[in-house]
Amino acid sequence: MTKVESLKHWGFFVFLCFQKATFLQGARNLETKVALLLAVEPQDPKCFAEGMEDLTCFWEDDGILEEYTFMYTYQYEKTTDCVVTAQPTGGSKARYFCKLSKVQHFVPLDLHVYRGGQRIHNRSLFVEHVFLLDPPANLTVNWTGKQGQLRLSWLPPPLKYMDNSMIYEISYVIAGRQMGKLEVVQANTEITLRGLQPGTRYEVRARVKPDGVTYDGYWSAWTSLVSRETPQRDMDPLILTLCLVISFILILLSLSMLLSHRRFLLKKMWPLIPNPENKFEGLFTVYGGDFQAWLVHSSGGLWWRPGFFYVEELPAPLEVLSEGSLGPAVSSRTVPSRALAALGEEREDEQEGMGKADPALTDRWNPQPQGQWLFDQLWPLHQHSLPPFDSGPLESKDTYVTLNQGSQPEGGEGPLDDVSEESLPLQVLFATPGTPVSQSDLGSLRHSSGSGRLSSQSSFEYAHNTWPPKSSSYAYLAIADSGIYMDYSPMSSARTGVVGTGGIYTNEYENDIHPHKLPHPGQPIHSEC
Amino acid sequence: MVCSSGLLAVLLMILESTRPGLPSPLRPICDLRVLDRFIKEARDTEATMRGCREGCSLGEPLAVPLTSVDFAVWEKKDFAEQTQEVQAGLWLLGQAVGSARASVTDAALHSLIDSSSRNIYSIGQVLHSLNIQEYTPSTGMSGGEDTWRVSTVSELFQVQTNFLRGKVRLLLSTAPACNKDGS
Repeated sequence: MTKVESLKHWGFFVFLCFQKATFLQGARNLETKVALLLAVEPQDPKCFAEGMEDLTCFWEDDGILEEYTFMYTYQYEKTTDCVVTAQPTGGSKARYFCKLSKVQHFVPLDLHVYRGGQRIHNRSLFVEHVFLLDPPANLTVNWTGKQGQLRLSWLPPPLKYMDNSMIYEISYVIAGRQMGKLEVVQANTEITLRGLQPGTRYEVRARVKPDGVTYDGYWSAWTSLVSRETPQRDMDPLILTLCLVISFILILLSLSMLLSHRRFLLKKMWPLIPNPENKFEGLFTVYGGDFQAWLVHSSGGLWWRPGFFYVEELPAPLEVLSEGSLGPAVSSRTVPSRALAALGEEREDEQEGMGKADPALTDRWNPQPQGQWLFDQLWPLHQHSLPPFDSGPLESKDTYVTLNQGSQPEGGEGPLDDVSEESLPLQVLFATPGTPVSQSDLGSLRHSSGSGRLSSQSSFEYAHNTWPPKSSSYAYLAIADSGIYMDYSPMSSARTGVVGTGGIYTNEYENDIHPHKLPHPGQPIHSEC
Repeated sequence: MVCSSGLLAVLLMILESTRPGLPSPLRPICDLRVLDRFIKEARDTEATMRGCREGCSLGEPLAVPLTSVDFAVWEKKDFAEQTQEVQAGLWLLGQAVGSARASVTDAALHSLIDSSSRNIYSIGQVLHSLNIQEYTPSTGMSGGEDTWRVSTVSELFQVQTNFLRGKVRLLLSTAPACNKDGS
């Protein structure tokens, strides 16, 4: 039982709260309407109809409630009294209200207000002409799906017979701005706003009024603001298609460019680093780059065959002309066996090389008796001793071999001093420290260089030895070399097999070597070590 | 206005065609804008008559229908009652306007009075299109509780305006013929 009672109490409490809320809402509503009327209606008493069966009139004055009498009369009917109520407004003035008990439309209504017997206000109106409605309810804003548009809809006032007699005013403004636009809608409860900026937030509100033909009244209060953002600008499908086509074309162009220049690009991006691994078997894989260790442990035959280094190169025959007594010179200085030892090995290669030699060269290197003599001189020396190669650098850097284009040697047997430069196809300079030979030879060499003859120098260790010329009248100069075969002479680009360390080319010949003076294409120069 | 005049032209054509009395089925005229145009014209006439000072008095008081509508009372009546009330009132009004035409001496006002007469007739045809029964005057309706007496032309046309705005319009807005169509 107590449970039921408590439920009853709770229900009553909730009902009271609801009533209070409604009352408060109504009171707030009334206040709003009163304020509106005070602003727009100059006549007294100010009256408004909220529905089809009511009329409320009020006026402001600073009297006592009991003083006032409110009388109203419909046309052709008798006068009726209305009960006056008071509402203090703060200060000395008060508002006096009267709600008519009988409401008739489409008939003139006369109103009279008396204060203490004296008529203070007088007004004649039609009740259907003083409507002051509530703002439209349920104002909703939606997207239409099209750009720059918003669709508004609301509910009409819940009054009978007046559905077709309403006009609405829509106010929409960009959020944050002051100036907005107004739209008037007649006999319709929805509207589509067009021409709006995309991606912008708009604030919308509405109010309602009878259209004035049959019914008339005052503009209602504005609804509360409803804000909505217009959809973002979507890409025009034509522009999108054009962009896609253009990007596709650009991609195709770049791809075709890449493919046509792929080799160039690959070279630039991943340049081929020359790897000497194939020349040195096991140097990197077994010995980890330790060249000394590799030299020691690798097979010696590889080293003893200079042909291993430059198998692709065509051995160019060298004619060594030695004038004068090469015999004692031979004995005084030992020809580095490394040079001469290579010579024997090279003979087979050189034979082939000879065959490949340019015919022009062959012409120049005319087999002469002195050439044969030179070779004969050199050959025994080669056969004498074959000391192992040293891995050190060249011991002497002051002997030079020059190859000259030009006339064939005529008197090759003479000493070096007697040789004229023009007649020497090859000048062998034996420059021991302090020997005057080198001086004269220097001069001759200089001269020969100045005359445009090709000069090729390589240092070799040679002590006035003759080299055994080949039987086929090619003399080969065995040149000592201690290092890896490299081309680093200024003329190395022309297949010059110049051998020696960097120090060889440094001094005496300042202007003799012209980098652009390449060896005659028909004259491969081959130096062996 | 152009739309209303177009509608009026159509209406008049229809009315002319139905004048011989052949019961031709009329299309229901449910658009209240037709009536609104008549109301506006009546309002203009009332305003003009209000300014009339001389030559505007009626010879004798004329009976006019009551224009007041108490919605609480009105809604309690059924459609037949409402129809009767409206049709009787229109007939009465027509009679009064005809009498006033004879009383008013000002020639300028004659055209306005004639226009009002035509409008009242047209409204009758509009009601006829909605299958609303026509009024047959019976004895004892000329004076009664349901009538007022007016003594001036301005009052007469004020009554006409209020009657059209009120009862006639309410009847049209609730006509079953229009509501069945969903308009």
